[in-house]
Amino acid sequence: MIAVLGLVVGVVVGLLVRPEVPAVVEPYLPIAVVAALDAVFGGLRAMLDGIFVDKVFVVSFLSNVVVAALIVFLGDKLGVGAQLSTGVVVVLGIRIFSNAAAIRRHVFRA
Amino acid sequence: MSNDAFDAEHDEHGGQAEPAPEEQTGRQRLIAGIWPPRVTRAQLIVAVLLFVLGLGLAIQVRSNSDNSALRGARQEDLVRILDEVDDRTQRLEDEKQRLVDQRTELENSSDQAEEARKQTVEKERQLGILAGTVAVHGPGITLSISDPADAVQADMLLDTLQELRAAGAEAIEINGVRVVANTYFSGDGGAVKVDGRKITAPYVFTVIGKPQDLEPALNIPGGVVQTLEKEQATVHVARSDDIVIDALRPAERPDYSRSSTQ
Repeated sequence: MIAVLGLVVGVVVGLLVRPEVPAVVEPYLPIAVVAALDAVFGGLRAMLDGIFVDKVFVVSFLSNVVVAALIVFLGDKLGVGAQLSTGVVVVLGIRIFSNAAAIRRHVFRA
Repeated sequence: MSNDAFDAEHDEHGGQAEPAPEEQTGRQRLIAGIWPPRVTRAQLIVAVLLFVLGLGLAIQVRSNSDNSALRGARQEDLVRILDEVDDRTQRLEDEKQRLVDQRTELENSSDQAEEARKQTVEKERQLGILAGTVAVHGPGITLSISDPADAVQADMLLDTLQELRAAGAEAIEINGVRVVANTYFSGDGGAVKVDGRKITAPYVFTVIGKPQDLEPALNIPGGVVQTLEKEQATVHVARSDDIVIDALRPAERPDYSRSSTQ
């Protein structure tokens, strides 16, 4: 419950406060958000499986974000930033789908 | 993709062994996690991370929806857009230059037209002096011929006129009649007609020209003055710095002749 509240509060604060994102971070924000979503879905699935460990979740969340941003950064430096970010989004999307399928099995038993 | 394919995937949390079948199902765990709210370390940590996620989500959604499309654009896209804008600027600059040139050209041509018009007006005035359609003034002489014996014939007046023309007279008036190219004299002594208008003595030639040329031309030995004086006419020549000739002729349009230069 506290976790769900945290998400809601984050969205509300983001909409109300309208913080200015530094220009350096700006290109990596969308990909980082997608990576974080992947980590959250993974965490949710693990919780449903009964194997949730908070430490693993924290590490996976942060590493997902950092690695995704790193890949895009590297891609920009190599001149294939657009293609690499597309690739990252595709991979993360597949993972999110698979986790969502597992969650669905637990919740709806189908 | 089938569900089986999804099931084959493993996330980082799935690295551990599948949990042993417990009495608790996934749904029960979810409900237990949501209600009642419990402040545990795991919940707090996840809440903090989800707060960060929600923040990023909101920022990204907002920056994508509001503002321009440039905000989230990638570097190469920005470079491309910049190139396009540069191209467009270049094209517009070219067009502007072309239009400025065109304007300059038009202004020049209208200047030229204005100049041509001025020259035409000037020419018209010059031709008007010759054709007698405009009044003129300038230095010249006044030649008075009194004829008590009615002995001055039309041909003598014509000789006088020729002499004046030869001496450079530019505009001539005889007793109120403007002398032009087709002026003619007719009649006998005492009843001389100029262009069909009867004139009487004294015959007054008002002449615009260089006085220093006109007067000697009349006074040369055997010239006009001597010839007239032989006929008992009295001739008087007076120089003047400003003679006004205001007798006019209507401008006549030729019936048959047309300018061949147009």
